[in-house]
Amino acid sequence: MMFLRKALAFLKKDLLNEMSYKLAFIMQVFGIFLSVTMFYFLSLMFGKSSLPSLAQYGGNYFAFVLIGIAFSNYLDVSLSSMSRKIREGQMMGTLEALLATQTGLTTIIVSSSLYSFLFTSLQVFVYLIIGVFMYQLDLSQANYLGGIIVLLLSILAFSGFGILSASFIMVFKRGNPVAKIFSGLSWLLGGIYYPVEILPQWLETCSLLLPITYSLQGMRLALLKGASLSELLPNILSLLAFTLIMLPISLFVFRYAVGRAKRDGSLTQY
Amino acid sequence: MESIIETHNLTKYYPRLKTYRQIILSPFKKSQNLALSNVNLKVEKGSILGLLGPNGAGKTTLLKILSTLVHPTSGQAVVNGFDVVGQGNQVRRSIGIVTTEERSFFWRLTGRQNLQFFAALNNLFGLERDQSINTVLHQSGLEKESDRMFKDYSTGMKQRLAIARGLLCDPDIILLDEPTRSLDPYSSRHMRTFIKEKIVNHKKRTVILATHNLQEAEELCTHVAIIKDGMIITQGAMEKVKNIISSQWYRIKLSAGALTMDINKFPGVFEQRVAHDPSLLEIKTEDISGILRNILEEGAVVEECTLIRPSLEDIFTKVIEENGSVSAGQLL
Repeated sequence: MMFLRKALAFLKKDLLNEMSYKLAFIMQVFGIFLSVTMFYFLSLMFGKSSLPSLAQYGGNYFAFVLIGIAFSNYLDVSLSSMSRKIREGQMMGTLEALLATQTGLTTIIVSSSLYSFLFTSLQVFVYLIIGVFMYQLDLSQANYLGGIIVLLLSILAFSGFGILSASFIMVFKRGNPVAKIFSGLSWLLGGIYYPVEILPQWLETCSLLLPITYSLQGMRLALLKGASLSELLPNILSLLAFTLIMLPISLFVFRYAVGRAKRDGSLTQY
Repeated sequence: MESIIETHNLTKYYPRLKTYRQIILSPFKKSQNLALSNVNLKVEKGSILGLLGPNGAGKTTLLKILSTLVHPTSGQAVVNGFDVVGQGNQVRRSIGIVTTEERSFFWRLTGRQNLQFFAALNNLFGLERDQSINTVLHQSGLEKESDRMFKDYSTGMKQRLAIARGLLCDPDIILLDEPTRSLDPYSSRHMRTFIKEKIVNHKKRTVILATHNLQEAEELCTHVAIIKDGMIITQGAMEKVKNIISSQWYRIKLSAGALTMDINKFPGVFEQRVAHDPSLLEIKTEDISGILRNILEEGAVVEECTLIRPSLEDIFTKVIEENGSVSAGQLL
């Protein structure tokens, strides 16, 4: 209960702060429409040619890439929002003020990224709405419950890497190898723009080490093919395994990083 | 008196940023700056301790350690019975820290919205939160300005909001880090009155006031600790600290016929100066009774003799210049 009230306080603060930058706020919303339109024209180019590897997702490239792009936003937010908030806190000087309060580290790090997740959800929702009503994206068979379960587990699995990445920023201020490597590999091998099946065998095997592979595959199967929970089970279990391994490790590392910054006296250095 | 804050041999080194050359040639060699050295400090419950020292003396580091924002390299600090490293959460429940760091607020939120956010992080919600915010806004005189964005506040208002934030949870201990820095004389005076009336007289809280404004410390503090190069040079009750100057200035009024007397010839007179009134002499000595006896033996009449109380500035200058250490035991 206490956590929820504190999380709401973070959400309100970030919403008020973001809305005060009116032009940036409007541009963010406008950007969503532009991206969808761009992918629609891409789909027109590929539309007539059929890729066998897309068949398992219904064969429509627009639907494939829209889901890929929409949900890869969660990857970006999970990876970057916490480290960005830490960096902002160092630069603005608010980090020290937050750590001087009676709120635990985990609550601070998790709550500080809530607004970004909420905004991303709005983005994804708009992507899907525009896709459905303007570009004939077919979600008639979608298994929304399955999609939500895959989404929540994806966020948790990605967040483990995000917290690790925030730990680097806490200590080194700049330079974030976790985000760079993990994000680069995910975009390359995770099946955002193209199905992983078109990769050479050894790269396809490598893609199995990334949570985004299971996340996007599960999300596409749930939304485009209406896959049941039992059909989604391999993806769900893989994401659960990533979560159970990565979250405790990353929280431990983050706690160590804050201790290190306190020993160095560098909480507000940048 | 019961101590509410104690430090034992508190030492802090900050790591220095290594150059590329150092990273390559001596990757494992530590390069550090000493910020605090074996600081032993006791703060009595209900007292107002002035932590005095020049820039870079270690005042802010000490406050940050006490507020759990910086970990000591060695030694121990106990606040309200809790260790600052091992029991950080309990320590943070006992303290309110007020820094002059304007950047510690969210500039595009109003003063009230900032306080609402920090109140939530300090476990204040609903009616209790609103009442607490209204109280501290009233105390800090920001009621009418509470719905203006923080970025539109004057420096004095930002400072007062920082104090309001520190008072939100009504903590037992308040740490004030140079609360009047960068304020004009009028705002400084207003701030001192505010601290004295609202925090000290009204709330009876334990306060540590880090400052290099000696007038401020003299006006507000019951106790004082002087810190230089990370070491506590002297500490104790204000009046006792003032007594560490053994040679003091006295103002003497002699009878009209004795004004030409050469006082310097008497043993024990370290220095003589002429006061603004030519009928008065000011002398610095450790043995005023011996000198008065000598004057009387010469046949002069001493009409008046008063001790010129040393100001905190005199003490501060003396201990900083001498950099000698006076043990706390002598003074407390």
